[in-house]
Amino acid sequence: MSITLDQVTKYYAGAPVVNDVSLDIGDGEFFVLLGPSGSGKSTLLRAIAGLAAVDHGRIALQGRDVTHVAARKRGVGLVFQNYALFRHMTVADNIEFALRVRRMRARKRRARRQELLRLVALEGLDDRLPAELSGGQQQRVAVARALAHKPEVLLLDEPFGALDAKIREELRRTIREVQRELGITTVLVTHDQEEAFAMADRIGIMNLGRLLEIGAPNELYSRPQTRFVATFLGAANLILARRTPDGIQVGAATVPTADQGPGTREHEVVAVVRPEEIELAATREALTTGYLARGTVDEVVFSGALESIRVRLSDGAQAPLLAYSNGNVTPCLQVTRTQPERRSFGVRPGQSVAIGVRRVHVLPTPLSSFTACAPSTEQAEALAHAPLLGELAARMKTRIVTRAEPGLGLGDAPCEGAGSFVGTTVIAASPDTAQRSEWLLRCGAKDLLVLPASAPAPQRVLIHWLGEPARTATLAVSASVLRHFAAEAVYVGIVAGSSGSQRPRGMRALLDARSEARAVHGLEMRTELRFGDAAQELAQRLAEAPAQMLIVGVSDLDRFAERFGALLDGGRWPVLIVYRSAP
Amino acid sequence: MSFRQPSVLPGFGLTLGFTTFFLSAIVLLPLAALVAAAGSMHAKDLLHVVLSARAIGSYKLSFGASLLAASINLVFGFVIAWTLTRYEFPGRKLIDALIDMPFALPTAVSGIALTTVFAQNGWIGRYLEPLGIKVAYTWLGVTVALTLISMPFSVRALQPALLEVQRDLEDAAETLGATRLYAFRRIILPTVLPALLTGFTLSFARAVGEYGSVIFIAGNLPMKTEITPLLIVIHLEEFDYQGAAALGLVMLLMSFAVLLTINLLQAWGRRRLVRTGR
Repeated sequence: MSITLDQVTKYYAGAPVVNDVSLDIGDGEFFVLLGPSGSGKSTLLRAIAGLAAVDHGRIALQGRDVTHVAARKRGVGLVFQNYALFRHMTVADNIEFALRVRRMRARKRRARRQELLRLVALEGLDDRLPAELSGGQQQRVAVARALAHKPEVLLLDEPFGALDAKIREELRRTIREVQRELGITTVLVTHDQEEAFAMADRIGIMNLGRLLEIGAPNELYSRPQTRFVATFLGAANLILARRTPDGIQVGAATVPTADQGPGTREHEVVAVVRPEEIELAATREALTTGYLARGTVDEVVFSGALESIRVRLSDGAQAPLLAYSNGNVTPCLQVTRTQPERRSFGVRPGQSVAIGVRRVHVLPTPLSSFTACAPSTEQAEALAHAPLLGELAARMKTRIVTRAEPGLGLGDAPCEGAGSFVGTTVIAASPDTAQRSEWLLRCGAKDLLVLPASAPAPQRVLIHWLGEPARTATLAVSASVLRHFAAEAVYVGIVAGSSGSQRPRGMRALLDARSEARAVHGLEMRTELRFGDAAQELAQRLAEAPAQMLIVGVSDLDRFAERFGALLDGGRWPVLIVYRSAP
Repeated sequence: MSFRQPSVLPGFGLTLGFTTFFLSAIVLLPLAALVAAAGSMHAKDLLHVVLSARAIGSYKLSFGASLLAASINLVFGFVIAWTLTRYEFPGRKLIDALIDMPFALPTAVSGIALTTVFAQNGWIGRYLEPLGIKVAYTWLGVTVALTLISMPFSVRALQPALLEVQRDLEDAAETLGATRLYAFRRIILPTVLPALLTGFTLSFARAVGEYGSVIFIAGNLPMKTEITPLLIVIHLEEFDYQGAAALGLVMLLMSFAVLLTINLLQAWGRRRLVRTGR
């Protein structure tokens, strides 16, 4: 492996800007770190270069641990967005800088310089000053300069950012050719997905300091695992669908999926429908694909090869529970069509159309939508407007519905819609939270979020489960929550009894939890070991610092209110309870 | 070549007129008067005044202390400007504002304050005394006063230049294998050199002309701690206007010579840079 990152973390003003990133980049690989601005990708690149010290974790280049090695001894070449050429030096002096530092003979220096200038197609410009070159030429000089000392790794920090489109494409090709010719391991940082697609062998997508997904471009595009990747990489319609024994039920359509197991429990899922996978026709009968719903054309934008259309779903269509696009929850679908499609069925704004879907991809995320639940409708409405819940829903690009449950808080009252809980149920914290939680869980709620009034966004999320049946689900839910907050994840292992004799067993449990979280759920987490009663230890740990949240898995409801009273009642922290009983 | 440069702002004729008028009225005419006053002397008298041992002693002190003060500011002004532009720390804005204090303070106040601190029983002076170092009433005191009042010039000249040296340049040098010292010598210093020289020039010019603060701390012993501006004032108080003008003329010529040298050096440096670039 050329570059190995192991749980690399960097804090800025107390918040993690690079959060537990682990990554292996192979020899000669062209790896692209893609993410929006502020996602931590540039900081990660600077950490690899040695220009930013990491607060936690390890960095190795060619198997050599360089975590505490100075940048000048790491053997990396770095190219900056603004070129960072030495303006008082000629092109030749710029390129030879690294060689001069290494006291190379003048003749050998000149030979190396000629070779590099040929490589970046700038022969004969040796004696120019950077100010006399165009932006594209300057960046070529910067690339040649970064390669002069034959680094093992080439790092490019948004190298095309300051260039116009045409030059950008040309330089992109040059860099790709140089990279292939030299076979040098390269990491490019960009926020431009088109650039990432064009250059990468593999792409790693970052958001909020976490490395969310890694994969080949087409793999990430067609089978994203997270909401963020689905919407960041190309356009996507996110739809709340139901997984049924026959397939994925999206609106009126049921699309069979490959991974359909016979024993799958029916539940709500988040489906991704790419704009190009949607078909429009005049009537339901004219569709060649599964019918989704009827809609009205809102807007048609012509953009050369493709035509993009916004279709508003008709009110009567109870079908797609929700479609999400561009930061707002709207009942609109994005559709793109090719010219042949446009010619066979032209549309204009205001027209009523039938909508069909060709292909649906289901995200494995366990958190689909939120249901704010309270004894009365007014209270449920108020809860739905809680800032933290609103924030979470907005980041997850999902919706919040309300539900009045008059039996909530009455103790042993029977619940009305038993078993019909959809998505994550949310209740406000109260003096008898534990009892209310038990009541809802017995009613059929699976994931239950207890929200104190005015809880801040969590900076640390503690994870724990009681009972093995809840393990997988707890990890999956934790991974999903942590993708949406710049918080650190800590698995708290708790062993009953005194510390001495139980320590080895506890440590083993921690390692198991950590490796499962990483392998199966793509979640990097720290671990802690404590001794004593689970609920008590968790309450104690939560009291230690502000802005913490707890995700706790439970597998049986026996004496639930009694066991968790100390943890839940009074509502000092947000707690997400994941309940999965043994089958 | 056209005399007139195209500009978006109209009124070239008017503004050039104002420029020449003001320069003439407040710079050239007084200087001409100075030259005329000195020129009305007999050559022998003139030489007698400007080459007297007392006058030569004062030139040495004035120009020597000013060059020393400007050199001190070259180094410490750089450090201060570097700290203020590169680091974010509590109180940075306050320190940045304090830099300008010597501008705003009446120079006599600076002089009295310095004397209080550096006198034999002053806050700092009392600790220097046992070491045999006397500051107040020696040439050292003169240098301290000149350093203080000319310090803002070198800091303010450097700050914008240092802001322009991007962090990236140092980072690039570091990834290419340069040590910090090497990067400083080969990258940062060449980039800010023009600003350094400008700061030096301004500091020096300010120090040479200083009067108010120095006379309080210098002690004003003829031949030892007497600066040329003070000698001029002494001549004036004796109603020897011509003698004063003669000394003034010498100061004018020497200052001009120093400033011209620095400017030529700067221009030569720029040319050399461009030539090696070709």
